[in-house]
Amino acid sequence: MTDTSRASGCPVSHHDYTLQRPLFETYELLDAEREQGPFLLNDARPRPFWMITEYEHVLEALQMPDVFSNDVTSALNPGRTTDLLPQHLNPPQHTAMRRVLNRWFAPAAVRRLEPLVLRRCVELIEELRPQGGCDLVADFAIRFPTDLFLATLNLPVSDGGTFLKHVENVFTGFRGQQLEQAAASTQWFRGYFDQAVADREREPRDTETDFISRLLVSQLGGEPIPRDDVITICYTAMLAGLDTTRSALGYIFHHLARDPGLRHRLTAQPELWPRAVEEFVRLYPLVFTDGRQVTRDIDFHGLQLRQGDVVWLGLASANHDPKKFTDPHAFDLEREQLSHHLSFGAGPHRCLGMHLARHELVIAVTEWHKRIPDYELATADQLYERGGQLSIDRLPLRWTV
Amino acid sequence: MSAKLSVDESRCTGHGRCYTVAPKLLSDDDEGFVTLRGSSMEITDDQLDDAEEAVAACPERAITLTLDN
Repeated sequence: MTDTSRASGCPVSHHDYTLQRPLFETYELLDAEREQGPFLLNDARPRPFWMITEYEHVLEALQMPDVFSNDVTSALNPGRTTDLLPQHLNPPQHTAMRRVLNRWFAPAAVRRLEPLVLRRCVELIEELRPQGGCDLVADFAIRFPTDLFLATLNLPVSDGGTFLKHVENVFTGFRGQQLEQAAASTQWFRGYFDQAVADREREPRDTETDFISRLLVSQLGGEPIPRDDVITICYTAMLAGLDTTRSALGYIFHHLARDPGLRHRLTAQPELWPRAVEEFVRLYPLVFTDGRQVTRDIDFHGLQLRQGDVVWLGLASANHDPKKFTDPHAFDLEREQLSHHLSFGAGPHRCLGMHLARHELVIAVTEWHKRIPDYELATADQLYERGGQLSIDRLPLRWTV
Repeated sequence: MSAKLSVDESRCTGHGRCYTVAPKLLSDDDEGFVTLRGSSMEITDDQLDDAEEAVAACPERAITLTLDN
């Protein structure tokens, strides 16, 4: 248990970062806390944790898996309610499983998927274009990654519609709310993937193109991957890939809807989209914190940590740290070291899907602006962002047909 | 003058920024790691700019360029 009596002299945060807030308030609170100091104690959740706020410290901790272990991966919700793989493993078991998974999510694999990604993206945009408006979040930003996730795993894209409700339920559970509903949806997903595994046990597919078939014949330390773990890996990839892409698209389109100058520049020079996406990903980190558990007593730059303490690695706070990024809240295409952001994490647990995510985002914005270059927000209402892991609740847009 | 570019295997986790900014100099393997991971290469004068860009792009600080006069 994190012992709060060691907090003397350390600022204390009472903010509960699982709460829904007005759009961008989470980043404002995190900035204010980083300005108080490099380390804070947060006591808003049942189990207090140490917040690490500055870029250099966050990067260093991410690169020290022997001290900062993935026995805990969320400071907000350190108790395990769901198994995640390979996220919950530590090296060397983690390293071995990543070796099996990496090739499905490497740039080379992502390039092979490109024709399908492009086709599906254009279909969705062409469906929306004649309507003159949409809720970007519900009508595009979640449908696109759901279809791509299913395609990546060689599962029927037509199952996408059923997925979303269950994804929402699971994320609600991650914030410590409506746990029974979340558990039911987790069971639904496990059942879905269990069926997919059973189909392949009965009738094996090509292990070069079928993710589950490959996992079923892969070995870790000379042993097959347990069947339950195969299901957990699929479930984890689904959780990691769908919500984040939806969320990134929400923040990106919100920004572009309000900045016609930038939008016109990028539409006219589409070769700039990859760099623009990278800067958007830095500016709008969705996974704003990573959690870790301390494995042994250590003095971390003056913070006295004890074995068993829970730490919050402030990914968003690091991305907005002015000591690392000049004028951090500005969107700057010419920014130096733009790729140093921690939105995908760093160290051995860096996001497995980062290459797929970048690719999806670049294709989405490129194809969208070819077809719908001008649009605006269709509401003056206050928009909100979900806590825990940021996501804009809705983004009504309109355009001239 | 000679120059050498090295990628530290323990720090490189496959972000892929180096071969993205310097595709003429570096390439990716099936797992998404730079093929130079865990080894080093001689850099000619006309490769120096690309090598410097690769070093600067790495979020893990896994790449070093050493210059010998």
